[in-house]
Amino acid sequence: MLTSLIKFTKSDLARYPFLKESAEYVKSLDIKVEDLQSPEFSRVLERARERVEEAILYTLVSRKLKHEEIEILSFPVAIMLTVATGNNFIKERYALAEAKQAYLDMKVESKEKIMAIAGNFSWRIWLASEAPYTFKIHFSDCLRNTVHLRDKKWKLVNRLMAGGTVYLTRSETARLLSEEVRRHIKRRLEASEVPKLPQFITDVAQKLSMLTVEKIGKSELEGMPKTVKVEAFPPCVSALYEAASTGRHISHIGRFTLTSFLVNIGMPIDAIIDLFRNSSDFNERLTRYQVEHIAGERGSRTKYNPPKCELLKTHGVCTNPNGVCAKINHPLAYYLRRGTAAKTGQRATNNKMLN
Amino acid sequence: MRSRIICKLFQEYYSKDFHIENAPKQMDKREFGFILFSEGVMVRHKRFKRLDELKAFMRENVPSDAYYSCAYYEDPEAEMDKKGWVGADLIFDIDADHIPTNCDRVHDEWTCISCGFEGKGIVPKNCPICGCEKFDVKTWPCEKCLESAKAETVKLLNFLINDFGFLEDEIQLFFSGNRGYHVHVVSEAIKELDSSARKEIVDYICGIGLDVSFHAPVVKKHEKGVEVGRGMRFSCFGWPQRLWSGAQTFLEEANENYLREIGLKLDVIDTIVKNRAALLRGLREHGGLPLIRGVGAGTWKRILEHIVNLQSAKIDTVVTTDTHRLIRLPNTLNGKTGFKKVELPISKIDEFDPFKEAIAFRDGSIKVKVVSAPAFRVGDETFGPYKNGIIELPTAAALLLLCRERAEAVE
Repeated sequence: MLTSLIKFTKSDLARYPFLKESAEYVKSLDIKVEDLQSPEFSRVLERARERVEEAILYTLVSRKLKHEEIEILSFPVAIMLTVATGNNFIKERYALAEAKQAYLDMKVESKEKIMAIAGNFSWRIWLASEAPYTFKIHFSDCLRNTVHLRDKKWKLVNRLMAGGTVYLTRSETARLLSEEVRRHIKRRLEASEVPKLPQFITDVAQKLSMLTVEKIGKSELEGMPKTVKVEAFPPCVSALYEAASTGRHISHIGRFTLTSFLVNIGMPIDAIIDLFRNSSDFNERLTRYQVEHIAGERGSRTKYNPPKCELLKTHGVCTNPNGVCAKINHPLAYYLRRGTAAKTGQRATNNKMLN
Repeated sequence: MRSRIICKLFQEYYSKDFHIENAPKQMDKREFGFILFSEGVMVRHKRFKRLDELKAFMRENVPSDAYYSCAYYEDPEAEMDKKGWVGADLIFDIDADHIPTNCDRVHDEWTCISCGFEGKGIVPKNCPICGCEKFDVKTWPCEKCLESAKAETVKLLNFLINDFGFLEDEIQLFFSGNRGYHVHVVSEAIKELDSSARKEIVDYICGIGLDVSFHAPVVKKHEKGVEVGRGMRFSCFGWPQRLWSGAQTFLEEANENYLREIGLKLDVIDTIVKNRAALLRGLREHGGLPLIRGVGAGTWKRILEHIVNLQSAKIDTVVTTDTHRLIRLPNTLNGKTGFKKVELPISKIDEFDPFKEAIAFRDGSIKVKVVSAPAFRVGDETFGPYKNGIIELPTAAALLLLCRERAEAVE
């Protein structure tokens, strides 16, 4: 059995407004943006505003199923408002909050409905008869939604898999579906070109942006330490840095990791090139080309990020992970933690390093 | 500079004997790349719409090595970031270089680049004479190495078919023409997977990040701490099945030395050896992990972690995660050996003989001056070992020595 033939009710569409059927329903009503200003639709606009507000304040969007029609219509309007803020934080937060609520609802849904929602996202899903599992899904549908989850139970290697399908419990299935929902909403938020929106919409969006600044404050906006702090490097980068300084051989992926890390923490390009000078096959022209390429000053103009911890583990670059490593999944996150936590007064050593 | 005679032989092959029955799927969406004898550098970003165009190119340009992308692009000829990636096959490379064997001492040679000091076997980190870290390394496609690569390939195929559910007609299996095997999975199911999803596939096959408590009824995390799941069984597929059957083989074979190597204490080893039969019976009959006094959850965990290492397949992790990788084109010659990259049916892997089936030149002979070479076999004939001598060899055998720079042609 691949997909269920179950039909969604209007209440389902209100609970899961991201479904294709919900979008079709809204489309069939043929409402224009300007209509939202009319008294008839004022409650839709208000509910949409509330959806985004709830997302910003509580990272959860409640469900008000008494007024199904308003609930269904307010979802696309909330998407429009979020796009209108132009604020990436709000976009992330809104997608996450809708997904979290969807998870809570799907966790207690019937098997048939879960399969129907999964089918909505073109998952290949079957019922499983092996306890404690309820479903099995194709591994590619699983991977699309697990690669960003950190808990080791989501690593494919820790899952039961046979014949191309991964076994999941009911709540695990709901969790992965909610991840699919989050990605789906995020895509919608990113894909929409910002159309010329009427004043009354942009006004609401602006208020939501203000709320975000008040609520979130500066803590989330803190960036990298101003100077390069070698003592805040994660163990893997320290080892690579040490190897480069003493001219020892570094693998291709090791070089890329080190260079992209240093570029991202703001080390000057010339200082990075100098670091490789001790290598026996050092070639200034080639090294400069590669470093500048990674820094996004050549070619595609993309500034590359260092690989995530996961990838570094796979390729054997990860060395001597410590307590901080257990809490992060990216070498830059390590640096951010240690760099901002480290006491000041390191400037002298940093300058020495850069000279 | 590669010897003229190699180039001449390759030219002969590409003008007469080069056939590809099955062109790469959607070949007009692939990027092709070549290493040319004349230039010694990679010529890439090439596109061929039809097989005869590719054949004509090969005939006219005679590359020492030919590659095509696992990726499909909208515009394969464009710069890398303008190609428009639309998907990629899932490819695996199993190379003897990644598998520890005990024969590298016999056939692998290294020379320090700064002082010229020579040695055999595993390349040291530093030269024992001058401390330099750069070496010129000469490896060898030996039978024993290739047998171990084949064993890893069999394990890989088992993962792909049983765990990932790929059909046999979605999997192409090749001998690389040198020291290993290539496996290409051509399937819509994986075509659009990004690099991080492919990395999860790699980790699954290599057992990287595997926590045995998810698969074995060994350590159930419990409020009181760690407990062994009495009466619990291994699932009969996936990694649990591998751990279960691996545990049986391990117990059957493990002697005291082996048990000590994996870090077990002497009294535990003693208990395992004495109770081997009971432990095996417990495993087989109850499908779970038998517990006896002295062999507890901690010991089983250590044993199972060792089994993960034995059951995983040693693939090149970088190749599979690279969604733009260029991989050797089937039926072309490998510039390091003069052998062909040849396809073999999955069902025939056990009896496949790379030193027979990959031979491209079956006629004639060439006189060569051999510097040094271990004993080797081509077809049904065995040659060597050689040290500083002039000898006339069948073309394929001579070409192998020439390509590996172990010999020079005598004009």
